[in-house]
Formats: sequence, structure tokens, C-alpha cells
Amino acid sequence: MRKVVSVLLCAALSATAAPIDPREEAFIGNRRSYWAFQKVVRPAVPANGAANPIDNFIREGLKAKKLTPSSEASKRTLIRRASLDLTGMPPANAEVEAFLKDNAKDAYEKLVDRLLASPAYGERWALKWLDVVRYADTNGYELDAERPQAWRYRDYVINSFNSGKPYDRFLMEQIAGDELYPGNSDALIATGFLRAGPRHVVGGNTDEEVNRQEVLLEMTLGVSNTFLGLTVGCARCHNHKFDPITQADHYRIQAIMAATDLKEIEYATKEEKQKRDVSAKALMARIKPLDDEIAAIEKPYREQLKEAKKLLLTPAHRAVLDIPKDKRTPEQEVLAKEANKQIGLSWDEVVNALPPDVKAKRAAIRAERHKIALDEPEEVPTAFAVANMEKAPVTHILKIGDPKHKLDTVEPAFLSVLGGLDAPKGPADRRSAFAKWLADPAHPLTARVMANRIWQFRMGSGIVSTPNDFGQLGGRPSNRPLLDWLAAEFVSSGWNVRHLDRLIVTSAAYRQSADIDESKASVDADNKLYWRMNQRRLEGESLRDGVLQASGKLNPKQFGAPIKTPIEPEIYDIIFTEGEPDNLWPLPKDRSEVYRKSIYLLNKRTVRLPMLTNFDQPDAITSCPVRAVSTHALQALSLLNSAFMQEQSEALAARVNTVCRKGGAACQIRTAYELTLQRPPRPKEQQMARQFLTQKRMPLEDFCKALLNRHEFVYIP
Amino acid sequence: MSSSTFPNRRSVLQSGLGAVAAEWLLQRDLRAAASANPLAPKVPHFAPRAKRVIFLFMVGAPSSIDMFDPKPALTKYSGQKLPASFGKVVSQFTGGDTPLLPSPWEFKQYGQSGIPVSSLSPHVAQCVDDICFVRSFYTESTVHAPAMYQVHSGRVLTGYPSMGAWVTYGLGSPADNLPAYVVMPQPEGTPEGGTPCWSAGFLPAVYQGTLLRSGPSPILHLKPPDSVTPERQKNTLDLLQQMNRLDSRPGDSEHAARIASYELAFKMQSAAPEAVDLSKESDATKRLYGMDDKKTYDFGSRLLLARRLIERGTRFVQIYSGGGPVSIQWDAHKDLVLNHEKMAGLTDKPVAGLLKDLKSRGLLDDTLVIWGSEFGRLPMSEGGNGRDHNPHGYTMWFAGGGVKGGRIVGETDEFGLNAIGERYHMRDFHATVLHLLGLDQHKLFYLHNGRNEKLTDFGGTVIDKVFA
Repeated sequence: MRKVVSVLLCAALSATAAPIDPREEAFIGNRRSYWAFQKVVRPAVPANGAANPIDNFIREGLKAKKLTPSSEASKRTLIRRASLDLTGMPPANAEVEAFLKDNAKDAYEKLVDRLLASPAYGERWALKWLDVVRYADTNGYELDAERPQAWRYRDYVINSFNSGKPYDRFLMEQIAGDELYPGNSDALIATGFLRAGPRHVVGGNTDEEVNRQEVLLEMTLGVSNTFLGLTVGCARCHNHKFDPITQADHYRIQAIMAATDLKEIEYATKEEKQKRDVSAKALMARIKPLDDEIAAIEKPYREQLKEAKKLLLTPAHRAVLDIPKDKRTPEQEVLAKEANKQIGLSWDEVVNALPPDVKAKRAAIRAERHKIALDEPEEVPTAFAVANMEKAPVTHILKIGDPKHKLDTVEPAFLSVLGGLDAPKGPADRRSAFAKWLADPAHPLTARVMANRIWQFRMGSGIVSTPNDFGQLGGRPSNRPLLDWLAAEFVSSGWNVRHLDRLIVTSAAYRQSADIDESKASVDADNKLYWRMNQRRLEGESLRDGVLQASGKLNPKQFGAPIKTPIEPEIYDIIFTEGEPDNLWPLPKDRSEVYRKSIYLLNKRTVRLPMLTNFDQPDAITSCPVRAVSTHALQALSLLNSAFMQEQSEALAARVNTVCRKGGAACQIRTAYELTLQRPPRPKEQQMARQFLTQKRMPLEDFCKALLNRHEFVYIP
Repeated sequence: MSSSTFPNRRSVLQSGLGAVAAEWLLQRDLRAAASANPLAPKVPHFAPRAKRVIFLFMVGAPSSIDMFDPKPALTKYSGQKLPASFGKVVSQFTGGDTPLLPSPWEFKQYGQSGIPVSSLSPHVAQCVDDICFVRSFYTESTVHAPAMYQVHSGRVLTGYPSMGAWVTYGLGSPADNLPAYVVMPQPEGTPEGGTPCWSAGFLPAVYQGTLLRSGPSPILHLKPPDSVTPERQKNTLDLLQQMNRLDSRPGDSEHAARIASYELAFKMQSAAPEAVDLSKESDATKRLYGMDDKKTYDFGSRLLLARRLIERGTRFVQIYSGGGPVSIQWDAHKDLVLNHEKMAGLTDKPVAGLLKDLKSRGLLDDTLVIWGSEFGRLPMSEGGNGRDHNPHGYTMWFAGGGVKGGRIVGETDEFGLNAIGERYHMRDFHATVLHLLGLDQHKLFYLHNGRNEKLTDFGGTVIDKVFA
């Protein structure tokens, strides 16, 4: 079936497009010949003796600059590199030992296959993918409410990479799963992609038209950044400054989404729902008496406060309150509304009026209530998804993006520069037409963009250095034949991400040393031609996971609703609320949950965890194709002094001591090295450690903390 | 980076390796310097009037027409509806059809300039000759958070770097042992817009605002848990740095930067508590900031902290009045009198104290002080005795840093609803602040997802009447 669709669309892509407005045609002009808009032609692999086609292309690139590749990294480096890269976790000590002893010719390939089959492979990929789609568990903006069902999309992404889902299918599910695969709950959950971005949800008189425009803009940014690798968002206010994308094109893509409504769609069975109802009622029965008790405690004080406020009302305002609601004239009703507003009480007015003992009693009841609330049963399975409207609203071009300044209307269509095919005009199937157009093997961008992401993820830099922007302002491919070959190989493998991962990770380019050769650096300082492997800092998430792995605290459980981990009081204080701030961050009842992998932690847009944000975790507000790597004092402080690092250093020390029951610095040093860096200490390191532990008599936990802060622990070698 | 492992430019030139190699080494050195400390001070685009900024942000929106922009017409037409010629006025909770509410406060003229200020700000009133009031700012949302984002980052959307982030990105910081960009929220809670107000957006995390409090551990994670003695901490750090040196490959600027970052962290551990130690200040100074009065103690001590930080090189200090419960914000939907008397009471004396203190120390000349908010409040009443949001025209003011004091720029209509004549967008606000700091709004950009993003987006107009 997929093949048939491809062939049909292939024909369509090469067919003459619908006539283009002459002004738009003039704007595009000869820019149609830009490299990224040309169909991928699989280049012949240069014959230069390398075994992996990737290396044939790399060698050609290096030869042109008279550079040579670096020598292969040590086996220890390779297993650490591949493990951190493919699973986000350091290898276990035993795995390193086994790999070192395995003298088979294909020992490394076997290792790679094992890592690619690990359930952590999908978790690792999800970290990368969720950066690109700016996924978070909350809406963002001031209220930043949680999206209780959004996490199913995160799990969908993990499962998709683990199950080897072809990328074209992955793409189509996310853009149009509801239309293309009706009745498939996974495909429905996948459309959570269209809602992954931030959304402003607030009360009062907000403008529906403005709100809707923000939603459509986010959807348009999502698909164009993620799949198209073009900055269609830049054409929102005017024709694109650098690329042949017209403002009309931007709104044509908005029109693809114009009939798309945000919708929570339950797919639970009747039994599941009933079961949930029963437990929810049981919980309410436990909570209600406490709520009643609080209300009873507050009642006399509320009344007193209200009476006092009534005295401050104007006589006219006071008088209308005594008139029953149904007897009031319209003018009196206005006054009554004002009066009620004026005597209204905020929570803090009430709490501040309570005597200390009453306040304490009330606080104790609330604490009890919050504890019970932790037993809340999980919501019934619901997709945080989209659905089509009955009727498609008309889409206008908007003057400088302002929904109040409508210009010409446009119909849903794709990019003019790539042929500008029309999509259906009805509300249905606009997105599926768009998805199929993108997933066509002949599409010049889709495969190149994803092949480049896979390369960038594994090699540390893209062949195109700007993975979300293949346009004029973005980078040019540092090795175009290699990029095109990877894209062609990706498509012919059935859009198999794991296949490309394996090819890259087993290449000599990947396996070479990351050492810096000054003479080569003087020719290619940014290593654009890959004469060495790039050393990469671990993401904050993987660093945290690695610390937990070393300390033995890691809870390997996968999937499910996001987890809150303990936060510092300073961070608790920045959670915005106008309400009572006493239960804003409930920790899980089962405390071992706080040691889950970082991918399962609550990603709240306005409350970032310092350890992650200090290591450049993106803000989940705009798409992040490449994480920044900034190094600064606050980063050092959080890795040295946070309660988390202290606790984990102590746990690691305790773990070391269970191995070295008889004590002894030699055993402790060796074990701590093995648990963190999976290698024995070198003589110089032995000496430093001994001086620290025995001469200076510093505690083992401090030694552990230093190891966890060390470059070697923090970097993918 | 040690010189033994690297040839320096001079030695290369002496060895006759040639200009190409020398140029490459120059590039490498610049790159290394920038990556070793991304906050290293940078040269502005042109001679600056101001070198640093203290931005006082009043959360919830104080009423300009009750503080700095008197509207006698409100008394004249008290209780009447706004003339129909104004069209439909939309605010967040009211529909514009409520009666006009005169200001409950009396305005008087102050200083040589004779600028009017209401009885809400008797202390700031004494400083009007140092202040330039711009009465015709407007924002584009009637909702707090989006309007706050616009004031802080230029857009009503989130995800864009805040002004403080842009300024530290553009100028770095002379203080390497203190955060370059410091944020001090109201102790009762975070401002409505929350962390996006001081975020780095898509700029690297190093440019985000750092939360700062008074006390022995003013910065998050500054100190290890109590159980860890300074001696232990020092030894751990020494061991770590020894090991990190073992791990460093020649030519690796990132590792060098990491080693430097631990050294800076160590320096910050002693510098930050010293910077926030207000016990070194005289009683007279504390009184100037209102620290002798329970009411003004909190805001006064935060402003005094701000002065101590900028003295020590911090580039940008962001301070919030208001946050958390509605009763501790300037958001006077009901009982304008109670709310504004309280909020102005908490802040007026400290703000005047800051201006006077900076002036007496000669710091006001090159320190820009900004007082502002996300919008003002409507001339019509809400609920009989409150006012709803008014983004259509409102006042913010500037002092110090090359600003011409005793001046009023721009105006609102006779009721104080709309800015008229020269209306100023937040792009103009930001263009002006950058200009005072010697930064050209068009030269300060960052490539993000295919666009050279700027604080002022399409570009704003520098409001030269503020300083020329």
C-alpha cells in the first residue's frame, strides 16, 4: 500500500503544479534551483578502500583539504561512547570487562547491536525528538497548567523508536494519525505532536481570534521546523527574507491546519471508566469530610470579615444586598454585583484572620487532605489529540501576522517552490494530504532533514549545521554527497532510523579518537570534515541519570504519568499561583519514583529544574534542534552543592562500602572508579585519591562527589 | 589555558610561520577567551551613557492616572460614561461601559521642573528633577502575563530572551565573581508572568537571570549542605581540579572553560555573601531606604542589595514589587485606595532612597534606573471602586544613566485612556534602553531557527527626548 501511494505522489511531485500567481513566481524565480530543493540522487560511493560507505565519503572530503582521519579510539572509549550515545547511560563495569575480553572481529558490531536493541535506545531518541518538537507536560504562560494526558505522546515516541517504526509512518501518524489510521489509539496519541507547543490559556475577555491564530502558528512552526527543515514561520509577516517562501505559502500551510480542533479523545473501555469512577468516588468520600471541616473552621471568620467589609460599602451598595436577587431592578443588580465584588474575600485575607492555633489546625487538615489526594486514581486513557471540525474556516493572509488585518484568502496547499500541490478543500484530509506529500520518497527535504538529524545526534554536529533550517541563512552541507547518500539510504532501507544509526556508529569516522591535532585544527577548526570524533557534553538529563546509575538509586521503570522530583525551596517559590501555595508540587507517594530517568520527570515550562537548565536544557517553548553548550559558575555550583548531588554522593559512598566491607582505601578507590568511570584508577589517580582519603582524612562521599563532577564523567568521550 | 601547550601569536610571528597562521591563532584565542568565560566584558557598539541597569517592575499594573499623569477631566465627568467617540474599550474583565472614576489622590507640582505627582508618592516626588516620565507607552495585551512578556522580551509570546539576557549577552559583566544578571522577586511569590520574564529564551542558559536573596546563601546552591565544612569543600574542589587537569586534552577550550567555571564558583562563594551583607551599611543609609520601618523594610533592603551588586559589577538587576497572592500585587480591580496606598507605601520611600543614594555616590550618572509595569489602569471604575487593565497608554519612568531629569515625554488623552501623539511601543522602550547602554539594536542579534532574532524585532525608535 505504501509503495502505491509513493508512486502516485512521485508522479504528482514531478507533474506540473497548479498555476502559481505570477507575483509569487517572480519572487521564487531561479531560486527553485537551490540545492535543498533538488531531488536526492543517490551518489555513487567513491572507491577508496573504506569498508563503510560513510567513510568513503568522509575520506573524499578530507582528501580535498589534505587531511587524514584520526586513529581509532581505545576499546574503553568506544564502549563508553557508544553506550552513552545510544542509550544515554554509561556501560556497567562488567559489560566493559566483557567487551575488553571479546577479541572477536565483530566485537564492536555485536556491542552496537546489543545497545540498539536496548529499551533505553528509544528513551535516548525521545530526549532528542522532544527537544525538536518542544514537548512539555504543561501549557506554558502564567498559569502553566499541567496537561494530564500529554505524556502518552512521550511514551508513543519512545515506543516508536524502540519498535523500529518506519519514519514515514511516524511522520504521517503525528501529522494526520486521526485521518489516516482511524480507530488506532496510538495514531491518535501521535497527533499530540500538533499540540506539543505552548498555549496561552487564561480567563477573562481574551480574543478568540488571536488565541486561534496562536494555536495555528504553533502547529505551522511545529511541522515546518520538525519535518520540512525550513523556517516557514519567518514568512508570517512578509515574504521570507532569504528563502523563496511567500507569505501566502505560510498561510496555505496554516490552512492545512485550519479545520483542526484540539480535542481530548477518550479511548478507554467501559470497564476501565467504571473502575475509575468507583475509585474516584471513594477518594472523594475520604476528602469531603476534611473540606467540610476546613469550611466549618473558616466560617465564623469569613462572616466577620464580610460584615466588616459591608460597613465600608456605600449606603446604596449596602442597601441592595438586602433586596432578594429576584426582586432587584437591573440598576440594583449592577450595584449588587459591585457590592459582592467589594466584600469578596481572598484566601489570604481569611487565613490571616485566623488565630495561630486555628491556623495550625487548618494547616494540619489541609496537609492530611493533600496526602489523601495522592491516592487519586490515574485518569482513564485519553488521547491529547486533534479532530477535524465540521466546516473548515476560511484562511486569510494576515498583515504582519495580525488576525485583525485580514488580506486575501488562501486555500490549503504546500510550498509553491516545491510544486505547490493543492490539498482538499473540505475540512477532512487536508493534513493527510500534507503528510503524504512530506513522506513521499521523492520529497527533497524530508529524508535529508531526518538523515541530518540522525547524523548530528551521533556525530555531535550536522552535515548541515542548522538542522531546522536548510534555507539560505542556514548552513551549507559540509559534505553534500554524504548527506545525499545517507538520505537515499534512509529511504531505501524503509525509512529505518536504526539502520542509519548502525551505519554511523560502526563507521570509522565515529570510532576515531576525539583528540585534537593542532595541525589539522588549523585547517578545519570546527571539524566540519570529521577528521576526529567530536567530544560532546552529556545533556543534563543523561548526566542526572548517570549519577543515579552510579549511586545505585536509579529506578529503571519505564513509561507513565510524569514524576515530580524534590525541588529547592527557591524553585518552589517561583511556581506562580494567586491561590494558597501549600500543595503546588506534590511528590509521589512511592518515593523510589523520584529516582526515575529524567525523560519521565515532569517538564513544566515555567519551572525548570536547576541542574537541567544549568546544563542548557531547552525551554520547550521553541524548537531546539541543537542544544547550546554553555559553561558557567552556576553550573559548577549546582553539580557541587545541590541536595541531589550530596544525597547521591552519599549513596554512592554507601554502595562502595557495601563492596569494601573491610574498608581499605585501595578497595574504595577502585570500586568508586569502577562505578563511575568503569575503569581502574591509574597510578597517578591512585596517589591523588589516597592523599585525599588517607592523608587528609576526607570522607569517601566527598571523593565520590569529585568523581561525579569530573570531566570524564560529564562528557561523551 | 597554559602557554606551554600552545604557541602564542607572538612566538608564531617570530618563528616566521606567516600571517595566515597568526590570523588563525588570533581567531583561536578570541574563541578560547569567549568560551572560557562567556560573560567576559564586551565593548559596546558606541560610547554608552549608562553602564548598568536597575529595573523596578511593579507587578499587576499601578495606575498611571493616580500616580504620575493627572486627569482633572475625570473629576469633571465623575460617574459619567466615557464619551461614545472613544469607541468600544475592551479590558480583561470589564467592557468599557462603567462610569469614570476620578483619582482619589491629590496631585501637586514638585521640584524646579514642577512635575505633578500624586500624594501616593511623596518621596519619589522629591526626585522628579532626576526623572524623565514617558506617559505614552502602550502594550498589546489586556492580560498581565503577555503584557509582562512584552515589556521584558518585546513579544507577547514566551520563548524570547528577556532584556537583561540581551544586555548581558551584548555587554558581558565586569564582575566575574557575581552573577551578571540578578533577579529579586517579591518574597510572597513570583510575578504573574513567572520565569519567562527573566529567561534567556533561545540564548544560552548562561544569560538567564539568577535569583538572588539576602542571607548567607543568596544564590541557589551557592553553599554545600551544612554538614559539609569549608575545609571539606576546598579539598573536594582541589581534588576535582587535579583530576580535571588530567582529563584535559590539548586544545580543548571547553575543558579549560569548565576548570575556570569551578574557580569562579569558588570565588562566588565568598563574593556573593559579602555582596549581600547589609550589616556593613550605615544606619543612615538603611534609613534612607526605609529599612527602619517594617512596611518598607523588604523593598528597601532589596534595593540596597541592588546598589551593592551594581557597585560590584553586576550588569542588570531586575526587582519586582508584587507577586503571589492578589493582595500583594498592584492589581487594583477592587478597592483602588486600599490597594495602591498599600503598594505605594511599600515602595515609595525605598525607590526615592535608591535614587538619592546612587546620586550621592556618583553612581546615578552611569546607572540607569527604570520604573515600570505591564500596563496602567482604566479611567473607568470596576466594581464601583477599582480599575481594570489599561494597556492603551501608561507611564514608565527613567532616571540616571544619561537620562534628562525633570522632563515629561508623550501624553495620554484627557481621560488617560489612550496614548496620543507620540505613542511608544515596547520596541521603542527597548531600543532606548539599548541605546543608553551603547548598544545598537540592529547589531545585537542571535541566529535562531533561521532568523537573526533581535530584542526589538523589526526595530524600534530610540526615544531621544529621554536623554537629549
